[in-house]
Amino acid sequence: MERKIGVYICECGPNIAEKVDIDKVIDAVSSIDGVVVAEKYKLLCSADGKKFLEEQIKKQGLTHLVISACSPKDHEKTFMEVCENAGINPYLFQLANIREQCAWITEDKDEATKKAIRLTKAAIKRVRYHASLEKKEIDSNPDVLVIGGGIAGIEASLQLVSPDRKIYLVEKTSSLGGLITNYEKTFPSMEPGSSIIKQKIQDLNNDENIKIFTDSEVEETIGFFGNFEVKVKKITDVEEAAEFDVGAVVLATGSTLFDPKKAPQYGYGKFDDVLTSLEFEKMNLSGGISLKNGKPPKSAAIIHCVGRNEKGYCSEICCMYSLKFVRYLKDKIPNIKVSNFYSDLCIPGKSHQKFYEQTKGNNVDFVRSSDVEVTKKGDKLDINYKNETGSKNNIPVDMVILAPAIEPTSDAPKLAEITSISQGDGGFFSEEHEKINPVSTSTEGVYIAGGAQGPKDIPKTIIQAEAAAGKILSSLIPGRKIEPEVKTSQISESLCIGCKLCLSVCSYGSITFDEAKKISVVNEVICRGCGNCVAACPSGAASVKHFTFNQLYQELMEAVQ
Amino acid sequence: MNEKDQHTDVLVIGAGMAGIEASLMLSKADRKVHLVERTSYTGGTAIKFEEVFSNMECSTCMVAPRQQELLQDKNINLLTLAEVEEVKGSFGKFTVKIHKKARYVDMQNCIGCNACFEPCPVSLKNEFEEGLSERKAIYVPCAGALPNVPMIDTDHCLRFKGKDKDCKACQEACMFEAIDFNQKDEQLELKVGAIVAATGFNIFDSKKAPQYGYGKVDDVYTAIEFERLYASNGPTEGNIVLKNGDAPRSAAIIHCVGRDKKGYCSSVCCMYSLKFNHYLKSKIPEIKISEFYTDLCIPGKSHQKFYEKMKETEVDMIRASEIEVAKQGKGIAVKFSNGNGKKSNLPVDMVILAPAIEPRDDASKLAKILGISIDEYGFFKEENPDVSSVVTSKPGVFIAGCSQGAKNIQDSVSQASASVGKVLSLSK
Repeated sequence: MERKIGVYICECGPNIAEKVDIDKVIDAVSSIDGVVVAEKYKLLCSADGKKFLEEQIKKQGLTHLVISACSPKDHEKTFMEVCENAGINPYLFQLANIREQCAWITEDKDEATKKAIRLTKAAIKRVRYHASLEKKEIDSNPDVLVIGGGIAGIEASLQLVSPDRKIYLVEKTSSLGGLITNYEKTFPSMEPGSSIIKQKIQDLNNDENIKIFTDSEVEETIGFFGNFEVKVKKITDVEEAAEFDVGAVVLATGSTLFDPKKAPQYGYGKFDDVLTSLEFEKMNLSGGISLKNGKPPKSAAIIHCVGRNEKGYCSEICCMYSLKFVRYLKDKIPNIKVSNFYSDLCIPGKSHQKFYEQTKGNNVDFVRSSDVEVTKKGDKLDINYKNETGSKNNIPVDMVILAPAIEPTSDAPKLAEITSISQGDGGFFSEEHEKINPVSTSTEGVYIAGGAQGPKDIPKTIIQAEAAAGKILSSLIPGRKIEPEVKTSQISESLCIGCKLCLSVCSYGSITFDEAKKISVVNEVICRGCGNCVAACPSGAASVKHFTFNQLYQELMEAVQ
Repeated sequence: MNEKDQHTDVLVIGAGMAGIEASLMLSKADRKVHLVERTSYTGGTAIKFEEVFSNMECSTCMVAPRQQELLQDKNINLLTLAEVEEVKGSFGKFTVKIHKKARYVDMQNCIGCNACFEPCPVSLKNEFEEGLSERKAIYVPCAGALPNVPMIDTDHCLRFKGKDKDCKACQEACMFEAIDFNQKDEQLELKVGAIVAATGFNIFDSKKAPQYGYGKVDDVYTAIEFERLYASNGPTEGNIVLKNGDAPRSAAIIHCVGRDKKGYCSSVCCMYSLKFNHYLKSKIPEIKISEFYTDLCIPGKSHQKFYEKMKETEVDMIRASEIEVAKQGKGIAVKFSNGNGKKSNLPVDMVILAPAIEPRDDASKLAKILGISIDEYGFFKEENPDVSSVVTSKPGVFIAGCSQGAKNIQDSVSQASASVGKVLSLSK
């Protein structure tokens, strides 16, 4: 096909016109082979400018369009729309930035003009090698797999379910509710934990669009956003399995406690009446707070930050629940003496400091300490520690409650592998972006919420569950098709040497290996065109559409000539 | 809610990180969004930062693509210089009155070339830069502001003040006929089904805690002022300098300013103070830095790692109380009691304060308009944090970001996404 390239140079009012001799640019490019028209215009992005371009494309019968104007960040999209409206493929267009990269930074007009000519010529050269790219649309399944039946999973399920969206909720234990079912009360409201969860579980059970799998594990999620095939297996019965399709996955698998036996200085597992926070919650929930000998403790120590050194992060909620424990103890044994051994009191949140202030005093001590060690002295437990000035002290107590660090559940690595997402700091699931995409992951359609993403309290867990549900509700709409990325990677069958390097650098799990042909294959529906595989490929087999070697090479050679 | 006469459009108040997230998500769900922003620009407070913890990612690089997306999104009707004046009705059927101030610069015609600034005869302190630099009466708050369209400050413009009724210096300089002195304020009435309020925060006025010397002693800066001093698009183009033009050889960063007055921990100050340590060291490697804190509050899976990296730079972490800042000779003295109750005195060149995060001045006014309550600290009140911290006592009105309480960007964005989740699930 004969190429008919149209070149249009924007004056951008005085912005380009005053710094670049546009007529010289036109002279320099008009005679280039394939260029059928080269003209200037006052302001191409204006309504009149766009109309002018559309008319020109039709009138001149252009096949390719080059515009020398501003940054692609400003108006690439604008001009691609012009192409579409005028009936040419928007990828047969190239924008040369002669404003930000030329007019606005080059003082000397001759120099600026020279540079503008080069940039325009390079764009003309590049556009010759452009190929039409077509948008694709694929059907999507609006149903959602939610893994984890704790507060996050429950909240996400309830928010997502609707008559046209089924939810599959998979829980590995025999019952729903998660950790919260162990809490008599939650901070700072001191409302019963059960009141939060009971009604919600009932709502779940009553909703015919929610299918609950207890004692079950997810074995496989194969596919991509909008189309995942899921296999779920009953843990208690290897024969029983279910298979279904969903469009998105929410990982809400929660967290667990650091094993205090790994920090033997706290005497856990060695001495009676040294409890973890969860053991203490359970004891408190079941009724009385008592020692192994059946008597109520007269004194208790709460040791914060157990395992923080080993884990390398602050678990965020331990200070607050330790304060809640003081309340538990004081409610049930008003005369008890409680000592908190802590390093830094971390109580962010608008109502938390008030909770602290209402908890301290009345035989409640806060001891800023380090090198805490629990030993046995007679029939008492002895807390040995260094105080702020570094001097050694000890306090005998009847009961010790440890606040161990929060860590991901043991099945996190397996689930990360199944869903092709990664684990980051502390082994928690990695979000797509720490700040602006905290519940999305590198795998589109797989979302994370709650303790599985990092230590957090109940309100924040609920927020993340609602956020994950929000992400799905806004992008996976029943009946709507999905448009995958157009500028995807492609791997040449003849050039690929089957080294599999690309598989290891792909962040999105979009490359698979064809064992029969011994080559890598890109799933264009999953690929986002990041170019990692292109950089890694030693044989030059991988390239990204619209950024092929040849396109870049031709553009560059023209620019540096 | 399936009735046919429900409105599906959504009003989002505030175009900071939370408001942007909510708007983009709603648009993706094919909802039309009216995004009302009080100022002339989008991006909120986050665009004042050069870098964000804990990855020290360039903040404007993080926010700008989202701002661009917002401006190009056909489902989003961005109303800048606008405020909500009245809300009537109920979930699914709100009628909202908006007052939109004239910008006097046409958003379509202006290309953001800035040619109009230079000829303007007026010069005054730039509020966006915390008064550390000057601006004209026609201006954008900083380089890179989006939308990149200036506004005329009618409180100072000679023409509008009547001081020089014929002044049209800016109009004459504009090649695009973008400046329109005849623009009028607009009174808009919108029909929306739901409202997301994400109006952000203020910082505690450090003058209310006079012991820190702010406003009295030179080279005592607030956190936001210091952010601008370090910002490459800020008043010093990122050069950290004292009033006298010299680079500081020592600096004190004081945490928890105003905490005892506000009665809560603002949750982000420890982390950004550690970030400031990085700012200072990266520009002035030999500077001596002391951080005065009470309790180090760095929750989150990645934050302690950042702290440990900062400690390698030999920052002095001083647990202190009874801190006082005073002028001493040509420099500054920081007096404090350390952990043992021993009094000490540290001379420094520069002091940076980390003031508490507090609700915006107009939070209670807006709460009243929206029909929601505020809590004892003045933040928007959630109905019950154990149920959802974005749900208010007024059905259909949701809250997100720092207007609900002090929090970092991640948690603000999460709340915004959660609000959208609520809007979409309750009206599906």
